[in-house]
Amino acid sequence: MKRHHAVVRITHWVNVIALTIMIGSGLRIFNAYPAFARRGETFCCYPFEHQPIPASLTFGGWLAGARNWHFAMMWVLGINGLVYLAFIYLHGEWRDLVPRRGIVRDAWEMVRFYLTVRKDHPRQGKHNALQRLAYFSMPLVGIMAVVTGIAIWKPVQLAPLTNLLGGYVWARYWHFWSMLLLVALTVGHIFMVFSVDPYSIPSMITGKYRPEWSPEARNARPFVHLLPTHHEPPAGS
Amino acid sequence: MSRRPDRSEDAIRLPSHVAERAGLDRRRFLAAASGALGTLALAACDSMGPRSAKRILMLAESGNEKLERVLFHHSAMDVPRASAKAAGSHFPAYFVSDEVPVWDEAARGAWRLEVSGLVRKPLSLSLTDLAALPRMGYRLDHFCVEGWNAVATRTGVRLADIAKLAGMQPDARYVDFQSFDSDYHESWDIESALHPQTLIVYAQDGHYLNAAWGAPARVYSPVKLGYKNTKYLTKIVFLPERNGGYWSDRGYEWYGGV
Repeated sequence: MKRHHAVVRITHWVNVIALTIMIGSGLRIFNAYPAFARRGETFCCYPFEHQPIPASLTFGGWLAGARNWHFAMMWVLGINGLVYLAFIYLHGEWRDLVPRRGIVRDAWEMVRFYLTVRKDHPRQGKHNALQRLAYFSMPLVGIMAVVTGIAIWKPVQLAPLTNLLGGYVWARYWHFWSMLLLVALTVGHIFMVFSVDPYSIPSMITGKYRPEWSPEARNARPFVHLLPTHHEPPAGS
Repeated sequence: MSRRPDRSEDAIRLPSHVAERAGLDRRRFLAAASGALGTLALAACDSMGPRSAKRILMLAESGNEKLERVLFHHSAMDVPRASAKAAGSHFPAYFVSDEVPVWDEAARGAWRLEVSGLVRKPLSLSLTDLAALPRMGYRLDHFCVEGWNAVATRTGVRLADIAKLAGMQPDARYVDFQSFDSDYHESWDIESALHPQTLIVYAQDGHYLNAAWGAPARVYSPVKLGYKNTKYLTKIVFLPERNGGYWSDRGYEWYGGV
């Protein structure tokens, strides 16, 4: 039994490439006017108005190059996202991701475990409660990125959508926030993969996963019990 | 539930075997991870991406243009938010020449706007002629390709009215807007050009255009990004084919729709 179906594995890595290019080119586009204020106005809610993003974090070389990449890669990101969502809906994987009753309490128990307040790893299914929340949020933030992106792409032809988001300035701001949220989720995800469950990386490539090396089995928190041999039995579980 | 190595029957032979495997895996993970991060860092280092991607990007652009043309409707009007402040003197000036282009009457004679190409009756309009045509004034958003927007009141003549006056022929599918700002020009699809908010503008915020904003006349429509809206206008040419443009020829989208 593979831990992740081939469709999930492929869409995951396509998403890595598409999202990296979308964020890099998006930041390059942002740098052409690294502010949100309408000309002649000030903007309340962004403390770094007119401060460009470091060029090393951007992609596309110049505004037109970045726009060409952004408006091409948006199709890859969008179609890949739809394939993923359609697949997990039809194939049943959504059950591992949607929040269950008691998710908040379960997530709190995971936080307590990571903070070493709690000694034993909470019991879990395929994913722990924090993972479920993260992997459930990711597509939602992705949809937010797509919708806000369409709103600032066509603020006249699709004016009702742009107005719904508070107009062009605010839609642009929400588009920026959807990027920040995606980056935050991704950084957290990568940190946890490398510090808690590096054995899940092959599972996202070949699909193979050894349950006896799972974080729950190793009683692993970040950088603790990283190797299976370091395992100590959790007290009273 | 999942097996715990130390409690299983394998407990005795697992440790060394597992440690070896785990060590290998960890090295492999680290190598793969640093490789992946290096690739991403290289790719993201303000580069334009692989040259071979150019054809795919152009394919995507032409696909996007088809979709944008389907989305385009004459009834979709720009209505700036009531709370939006007019940019006024904060409205950016923009031109490609080294200095602000100013029409030199002594050298070039009086400025006139020529309407030609696929028309039955070519026109040559003075500023007075333009001002005498049916006047439209709109408070409009301006969407710049850079991402900023600005609100200004634009006064002028609908291009649709000028097209009617000149007797535009049915095979005119494109319009080229040419200027005296060096070789600046941009060509449009006819649908966008005939949108009710597409104006040949001679006044902004109630005053005749100043030199920084494109005097004596410019094209302006909220359905196109700023760079498509040629300033310092001299010629409107109706064409059967598109004729590129200053920024469109330099890598920006030709359609540039909003």
